[in-house]
Amino acid sequence: MSADRAGQACALTVLTPVLTGEEAALHDYLDGLHAGGSPLARLPRTHFARWVIVPDFVTDPEQPHDDPLGCAHLLFTSNLDGPLDSYLDELCERLVPEAEPIWGRCAGCPQPAAGPALKAYLLHNRIRTGQFVAAYPRATVAEVRHGLDTRERLIALAVRAQGLEPAELQRAFRAEFP
Amino acid sequence: MLAGTGTGTESRNVHGQAIAITVFSTVKPWGRLWLPVVFVAARLLPRSQERLARLSFIHFARWALIRRLPYDGRRLRYAHLFFESNFNGGWEEYIDAFAYILTRDMRTVWGSSYGFPDPLPAAPFKAYIRRNELEASHFYSAYPEATTTMVLAGLELAGKVDALRRRGERMGPEAFAAAWRELLTDVQGSL
Repeated sequence: MSADRAGQACALTVLTPVLTGEEAALHDYLDGLHAGGSPLARLPRTHFARWVIVPDFVTDPEQPHDDPLGCAHLLFTSNLDGPLDSYLDELCERLVPEAEPIWGRCAGCPQPAAGPALKAYLLHNRIRTGQFVAAYPRATVAEVRHGLDTRERLIALAVRAQGLEPAELQRAFRAEFP
Repeated sequence: MLAGTGTGTESRNVHGQAIAITVFSTVKPWGRLWLPVVFVAARLLPRSQERLARLSFIHFARWALIRRLPYDGRRLRYAHLFFESNFNGGWEEYIDAFAYILTRDMRTVWGSSYGFPDPLPAAPFKAYIRRNELEASHFYSAYPEATTTMVLAGLELAGKVDALRRRGERMGPEAFAAAWRELLTDVQGSL
């Protein structure tokens, strides 16, 4: 199995150079995403994802030499369901409003930042995973949500059902889990 | 957005119960060769992955070795090790678990990084991770209310509830009540 995969889950890592002078604006834009909810919710195959601005690599005092990045870079990672190819199609279609103010501030990003050109850009700047670990590698986001919902409803029913007669219990279960 | 409940880190690294950790470290020259071997070994001998998965608060984690910048292909003077994790709970407890439970694995992975102090004692290890950690600008979880334990419990319960639903269609009330009690006994640890 590819190092980018664990079960049906896939790890995506993209590192793109931020255009000179755009780092502060990019930071402000990403910071502002918190207030209105995440656009990543429009990608229903995303378990977890993040954008991180990497100003430079940390230079450890033990290092004989610096190793500067040259400019700030934008890191994007996602832990996603299924094939990467179709996920990127969805991303480049559904995140068009955000892609421009995010990757549009990175060197080499196509204009407009959308569609197949953006997909090719993200793939070009992809970093291959060395090791990827998933606690529930076979479960999709939809299955996780279904499981969480089932658990909540089962707990509620278990509380409600105390003392119910068998026929009432069966009716309550059927109503809760039709 | 759900208020963050994760502790010990910046608020931008938190979404509900979930915490993001993002770490880069500079790799010594021998690590360029060593780490790819470690990664291949981890895939072929999945015991280390199983040990990680047994840390019941990690949803997903990954390591990657960056030797060239993908944009222009520039070879870096040193390779850089990228680590990210998506977990729940507290930052301090997370690093403690890495240090105390996965001591040998941490030495294997980070031992080739400059400045790595050894996982034990944990305080210098935590200071090292803090020094090399970057704050997320935006972090997203699809199910921020859930811990890893809750997810695993939900996945187990969904299958069992569905099985009872299907079997229950052919049961009378008494038999169903017995099957219900059996289910609750079976899954009580997951509720």
